[in-house]
Amino acid sequence: MKKIIEFKNITKSFDNSVVLKGINLDIYENEFVTLLGPSGCGKTTLLRILGGFLQQDKGEVYFNGEEISNIPPHKRNVNTIFQKYALFPHLNVYENVAFGLKIKKIANDVIEQKVNRMIALVGLDGYQKKDVTLLSGGQQQRVAIARALVNEPEVLLLDEPLAALDLKLRKEMQSELKRIQEEVGITFIFVTHDQEEALTMSDKIVVMKDGNIQQIGNPTQIYNEPENVYVANFIGESNIIDGVMKDDYLVKFDDMEYKCVDFGFAKNEPVDIMIRPEDIKINKNKNGKLNGEIKSVLFKGVHYEMIVNTKIGTSKTVTMHVLAERDVFNEEAKEKMSASDFTMDLEDVKELTDSDIIARANAQVWNSENNSDIGIKEVVHEIKETPGKYPVTFKSSAGTSITINVTVIEPKFIQDKESNIGIQAFDFYKTVDEIKESMAISVDLKTWADAFAWNLDNDKNIEITDVWYDFDPDEIVEGDYEITFSTKGREFKVHSTKRFEVDDEVSLEFEPEDIHIMKKMR
Amino acid sequence: MKSFSRLVYPYIIWSFLLVLLPLILIALYAIVEGGSGIITFKFTLNNFIRFFKDPIFIEVLLRSLNIAFITTIICILIGYPAAYIIAGFNDRSQKISILLITLPMLINMLVRTYAWRGILLISDFNPEIKVFIGMVYNFLPFMILQIYTSLTKMDPKLVVAAQDLGCDKKEAFLRVTFPLSIPGIISGITLVFLPAVSSFFIPKLLGGGSFVVIGNLIESYFVTAGNWNFGSAISIIMTIVILISMYFTRRFDYNKEVR
Amino acid sequence: MKNSSNIISKIYFYLIMAFFYLPIIYVVLFSFNNTKSLTNFSGFSLEWYIKMFENRTMMESIYYTITIAIIATIVSTIIGTISAIGLSKSNRVVKEIIGQINNLSMLNPDIITAIGLMLLFSSLNIETGFFTLLLAHIIFCIPYVMLSITPKLRQLDDNLAEAALDLGCTPFQALYKVIIPQIMPGIISGALIAFTMSFDDFVISYFVTGPGINNISTYVYSSVKRINPSVNALSSIIIVAITIILIIANAVPIIAEKRRIKK
Repeated sequence: MKKIIEFKNITKSFDNSVVLKGINLDIYENEFVTLLGPSGCGKTTLLRILGGFLQQDKGEVYFNGEEISNIPPHKRNVNTIFQKYALFPHLNVYENVAFGLKIKKIANDVIEQKVNRMIALVGLDGYQKKDVTLLSGGQQQRVAIARALVNEPEVLLLDEPLAALDLKLRKEMQSELKRIQEEVGITFIFVTHDQEEALTMSDKIVVMKDGNIQQIGNPTQIYNEPENVYVANFIGESNIIDGVMKDDYLVKFDDMEYKCVDFGFAKNEPVDIMIRPEDIKINKNKNGKLNGEIKSVLFKGVHYEMIVNTKIGTSKTVTMHVLAERDVFNEEAKEKMSASDFTMDLEDVKELTDSDIIARANAQVWNSENNSDIGIKEVVHEIKETPGKYPVTFKSSAGTSITINVTVIEPKFIQDKESNIGIQAFDFYKTVDEIKESMAISVDLKTWADAFAWNLDNDKNIEITDVWYDFDPDEIVEGDYEITFSTKGREFKVHSTKRFEVDDEVSLEFEPEDIHIMKKMR
Repeated sequence: MKSFSRLVYPYIIWSFLLVLLPLILIALYAIVEGGSGIITFKFTLNNFIRFFKDPIFIEVLLRSLNIAFITTIICILIGYPAAYIIAGFNDRSQKISILLITLPMLINMLVRTYAWRGILLISDFNPEIKVFIGMVYNFLPFMILQIYTSLTKMDPKLVVAAQDLGCDKKEAFLRVTFPLSIPGIISGITLVFLPAVSSFFIPKLLGGGSFVVIGNLIESYFVTAGNWNFGSAISIIMTIVILISMYFTRRFDYNKEVR
Repeated sequence: MKNSSNIISKIYFYLIMAFFYLPIIYVVLFSFNNTKSLTNFSGFSLEWYIKMFENRTMMESIYYTITIAIIATIVSTIIGTISAIGLSKSNRVVKEIIGQINNLSMLNPDIITAIGLMLLFSSLNIETGFFTLLLAHIIFCIPYVMLSITPKLRQLDDNLAEAALDLGCTPFQALYKVIIPQIMPGIISGALIAFTMSFDDFVISYFVTGPGINNISTYVYSSVKRINPSVNALSSIIIVAITIILIIANAVPIIAEKRRIKK
């Protein structure tokens, strides 16, 4: 195959942000090449440099061995299909397709022949006189293809041409584009952020990220042997696990060693492990090598997608003291008042305000006849920066008052050295009604217990994904309840045609060749 | 693509020479002493001192501001209900109403004012009222159109949402419709107050010779008296007064938006 | 309740309309008066129309108004279109500067623009007359033309010009084969605005015109000292002409749309 385009060390920046960081890429004759990446990765910029609409800051572009950076767009033998097609609204279908040939001053009868043939090729025969603005998205797309191809370019550039179409039409146009490419036999360079589109159509996929090429390969290579986590995540669905390479053909994660087919890594080198959800076999027993519990099941049409929890995350358990009503009733003023005890962190005392106390104690005053809210006028307290129990009194302007206890403690949090997570939560007091009234109990429990988790290295917040409790909020009675807050543990996404129920105990299995080991990204 | 940007270069020169330079000349004339030759120019602030020393000039300035202010208020008071009523019409009636309001605007301002001169000859209003009628007549359409545009641009679902949240019709107007139409009122004020301050032929045609506003002063110093330096100083003073009033109007708008 | 408020708003609306059309009706009516009176309609005649056509200064003012309006419209539309296209592809700084200057020129009180130009012409020793009048009109029309084209340019698909270049157009061909046809509605409305601005202008014309050159506005202004009912006749003609133009301008798009749908 002949090399038709060669990008050499292309860099480009806009307003101080570097969009392309030294791209090297060869493209051959008759190839269907896809530039794949999220928006902002530089794929469209690269295409526009080739089209001649942008000038690179550094590097060369060769077209059939000739450097073309200084050739204006109208003199380049490439044509472009633009994102929103850029059809000329003041011209009809025929005139749009004929536009390029008319500019080149080709004889009218030749134009007519070529244009009509091209309109037929894209399946729009009979639409010649139609107003382009009245066509459907798919038809406009076909006009744009015909308008570009009629000029017989050596390379066709397609800038996310299917993005504006709905799913069904997009699928249809994918195979249509592939058919047209095979029929005219020229190079197509296709830009998309849709990995599925890239996999179905391309001979060669170029995965890009932040102005760099991550991997170049055919669809099978890209899917089965991604170079790194980025490519693995971008193409298809995958489970990515932190692991350590113990030896050639042997990898370890979550305290277990597994056989694999990869080699050539250093001993004890940290690696990323990828296992595709469809490669995991799931069995209804709990005595496999890797056991877990089903957390969720989603029906996806052909298969079920299940999340299997094989290891609980870092967690902390607290006690919730549930009390009966303890409203204070001031009959004279027809006022009722309520508030609950609470526990707080020593560190927070410094910045404690009256409204904080009201919020934490959930202190309320209301008119006993019409239930309308009344404001709390005064908060009396002597909370000090030493651990201990302090009384706090809330007063309304009518003289109703209630006293609660605030416990100030040294924070006790759990440190998980292995996964580098700290987690903290406090015991708390609530009334039966408060729990019954809660609209989102998990969220409220987190707030009431002031539960949060963080990364021990950088203090960044980590989400608490699970709140475990064993009561029915609608039927709760007085007493003490244990509540466990935990961060995300090890979860596997599994695709299977067998159906399981949530909470089923299962074991997971995979073959050595289903484990793909990748070098850590720098 | 980039090469198209060159098309604007001649206009950059054009606008500096023919738009900015004249304004600079006014400022220049205002701060020099008489004489039409460029070489004889001598820096002075006498033109400004003369203006502020003479109570008659101050009175004229205040009268102009007063007229413009009252005209603007009347235009808002009459124009808001009118715009609100039109915005409530169906599409066809809205289009026709707007067309009917635009039509008189397209007729020469002088011709319109001249017509009022004839009508007001029949009445025996005092000159001030005649001037107000002429001013309101000329500027009211601008106010109506600006408020109307801001009212129709508004998403009608907002009022429905307000009613859904418990507002009655009056409250929905006061809490949603009116605050959202304030930008329309502000741009209406810009289009009424600015030209009203500087207008000079309406007071002259309708108020008679006794009714002098700042525009007449500028006119007479440039056309009849031929003292361009003093005339320029008066225009600078007028411009500054206008800028200050616009600044406060805009600030009012800004405050609203922040809130 | 609902009905009564409806009736009140209808009455209010009609009162406003009456206010707007009172002087117009008055002018048309008194243009047919058979005496010189401006307050008393005593009988029908065409006297003032005949007098108008016999009055040379008046006819000249009509001629100058129309000539200047046409030339100023054509020139300002061409300059405005080209500049607006250039501006749309310029960087932010140029956009900001030119945008501010245009705003300044549109928001500036007319009298300031007028005396500024008067001072400019005199500083450059240009004798005031037809040329200065025309130039002044072109100057104040351009920002309005640009104002009406710029939104159209902004709506334009950025890729349209690129598509033209991609298909082999030189930049100039892309301009007149693709961009100009696309922004035509903006150009036309810009031209209409320029024409009415020029046709209506009094303040600027008054300061920059020279001896013997009057447009309708300056003529009316200079003739208010005497009672001259021919002005009413002239006004009536203008009113009728504008009404007809407005009706055509509103009917043409509707008819065109109907035809398009039929096709």
